[in-house]
Amino acid sequence: MDATIWLGSALALFAIGLYCVTKRNMIRILLGVEMILNSGNFAFIYFAAQHAAIGVVDPLGQSIVFMSIVTGGCVVAVGLALIVNAYKHFKTTDSRELRRLRW
Amino acid sequence: MVIPASMYFLFSPMLVVLTGLLAERTGQPKLRDVVAVLVSALGVVFAWTLYNALQAAPDNILVFSLGGGPPLGASFEIDLMGMFMAFSATILGFFATVYSYNYMEHDTRLTEYYTLLSALVVGMLGVAFAGDFFTLFIFWELMGIASYALVSFRKNLPGPIEAGFKYMIMGSVGSTVLFFGIALVYGITGTLNFAQVSTVIHGQPMNLWYYLIFALFVIGFGVKSAIVPMHTWLPDAHPEAPSPISAMLSGVLIETGLYALTRVLFILFEPSFFKLTIAVFAALTMTLGNMMALRQDDVKRMLAYSSIAQIGYMLIGVSTGLTYGLMGTLLHILNHSLMKGLAFLSIGSVVYATGTRDINKLQGVGKMMPFTTLAVIVSFLGLGGVPGTNGFISKFILFNAALGAGMLILAILGVLNSALSMVYYLRVIMVLLSGEAEEGMTAKEAPILMVGVTLVMAVLIIVLGLYPSPAVGIASRASEALIDNISKYIGVILS
Repeated sequence: MDATIWLGSALALFAIGLYCVTKRNMIRILLGVEMILNSGNFAFIYFAAQHAAIGVVDPLGQSIVFMSIVTGGCVVAVGLALIVNAYKHFKTTDSRELRRLRW
Repeated sequence: MVIPASMYFLFSPMLVVLTGLLAERTGQPKLRDVVAVLVSALGVVFAWTLYNALQAAPDNILVFSLGGGPPLGASFEIDLMGMFMAFSATILGFFATVYSYNYMEHDTRLTEYYTLLSALVVGMLGVAFAGDFFTLFIFWELMGIASYALVSFRKNLPGPIEAGFKYMIMGSVGSTVLFFGIALVYGITGTLNFAQVSTVIHGQPMNLWYYLIFALFVIGFGVKSAIVPMHTWLPDAHPEAPSPISAMLSGVLIETGLYALTRVLFILFEPSFFKLTIAVFAALTMTLGNMMALRQDDVKRMLAYSSIAQIGYMLIGVSTGLTYGLMGTLLHILNHSLMKGLAFLSIGSVVYATGTRDINKLQGVGKMMPFTTLAVIVSFLGLGGVPGTNGFISKFILFNAALGAGMLILAILGVLNSALSMVYYLRVIMVLLSGEAEEGMTAKEAPILMVGVTLVMAVLIIVLGLYPSPAVGIASRASEALIDNISKYIGVILS
C-alpha cells in the first residue's frame, strides 16, 4: 500500500513531465525536463528510506539525489542560455517556430 | 587500492580553463591553444599508461574506489573494453584539438571552446571507466552538457541555436529517463555498484519492473546513440556544430552511448532477453539512416545520416550476444571513430575553403585541394566498406557474426545496406573529382595543420585495413572481457 502511493506519485510526476515536454513554450519544456528528473529524485528518496539499515536512511540514495540536483541545475542553465539566444534570433519562445532545419 | 597519478587527467579541463584565462589576461591567446593541444596529447599518453598498467594487473582489471568501499563509494572499473573506448576518445580528441587550432582561429571565446572540448573527452573517459551507476550518471551528464554547449557554440547564427535546443531537450529528457531507470535498479537491488547489481539481479525471474527498466535504459541510452525512433536530433546537431565537434560527436559520442548501453544490458540481463529487440532496432536504424542519407544535398547532413546507419551496423554485433559479434562492434567503434572523424574533418576543410556545404556546388574542388580530396576519398571508401580499408574488416566480422548467430535476415539487410550506402559516398567522390569549378569559385588548400591531421588519419585507416591483426587481437580480448569480467569484477569488489 505504502509502495503504491509513493511509486505511484513518482510515476505520475514522470508522466506529467513527459506531457509538459510536448508543449510549445520553450520554458515549459524545460520545466517538464526538470519534473522528469525530480520524479527520479523522488523515487530515489523513497527507495533510500526503504533500504534503511539500523535506523539510518541509506546515504547512497541521498547522495545521488544531491548530485543529480547539481547536474540538473547545470542542464537548466545551459537550456535557459539557449532559450535567451533563441529569443534573440526568432523573437519568440514558441518551439514550433524553430523549423528551419528539416529533413 | 591506490589511485595511480595518471587518473588525475580527469581534472584536465580545469588546467585548460585556468591557463586560458591567464593567457587572455596577459594578451597571449596562442598560449592557450598550445596548452589545449598539449593537454589533448597528454590524454593519449594517459590512455597508453593506463593500458600498460592494465596489462600488468592480475586478471587484466583495475578497480579504484573513491570515498569508501563499494556500496557507498564511487568506483572506477577499468578493463580492456573501457580501454578500447578510451583510445578512440583520446585519439580522436587529439586530432580534433590540433585541427581546431587553425579551423577555429577566426572565432572568439576560444577558452570556453577548448575547455568544453576537454570536458567532453573527460566525460567520455569517465563513462568508459565507470564502475557503478553513480559514476556513470555524473560523467554522462558532464559529456551531455559539454556537447550541448559545443553544438550551439556559434550562437550568432540561428542554425546552431535551433539544433542545440533540439539536442538539449532530447538529450536531457534521455538522461532523466535514464536516471529514473537507475532509481528503479536501486529500488530492486539496494546498491548501484555494477558487480553487486549483477549478483542480485542475475537469475531472478523476470517481472514487469525488469521490462520497465529495460525500456527506460534503451530510451535513455538510445537518445544519445541515435537509435532510430530517438534519432531526430542528430541530423540537425551534427551539421550545425563546428566541424571538429561534428567529428567528435559522430566519431565517439554516439558510440559512447552505445558502449554504455551494451555494458549495462550485459550486466543486468541475459543476452537471450534483449537479442530480438536490439536486432529489430539494428535493422530499423541502418535502413532508415541509409535511405535518408541518399536524399541529402548538404554534405555534412549526409554524413550525419550515415552515422545513424553505422550505429545500426554496430547494433548487429550487440544483438548477436556472442563474443565474436561484440568484437565486431568494438572494432567498428574504433574504425568508425577514425573514418567518420576523418570524413567530418576533411569535409570541414572543404567547407572552410569553399564556404558551401551543397554537394552540387563542390565540382572541381579535387583539382584545387588535392590532399584534402585524397583524405575525403579514403574516408568515404572506408565508410562504404571497400577492402583495403579498416571499415571492410569490421563490417565483415559484424555480418559474419550475424550469420553465426543464425540471423540470416539481419546479415542480408546489412549487406544490402552497405551496398546502398556506396551510392551516396560515390556521388560525393564523383562530384569532387569531375567537372570544372563554377565561375568565381576559388579554393586554396587548407592550412598545413588541417591537411596534416587529415592525411595522418587517412594513413591510419589504410594501415589498420591492411594490417588489422593487433587491433583485432585487442578487440577480441576486450569482448571476452565484457562477458567474463563481470565475474572477475564481482570477485574484486566482494573480496
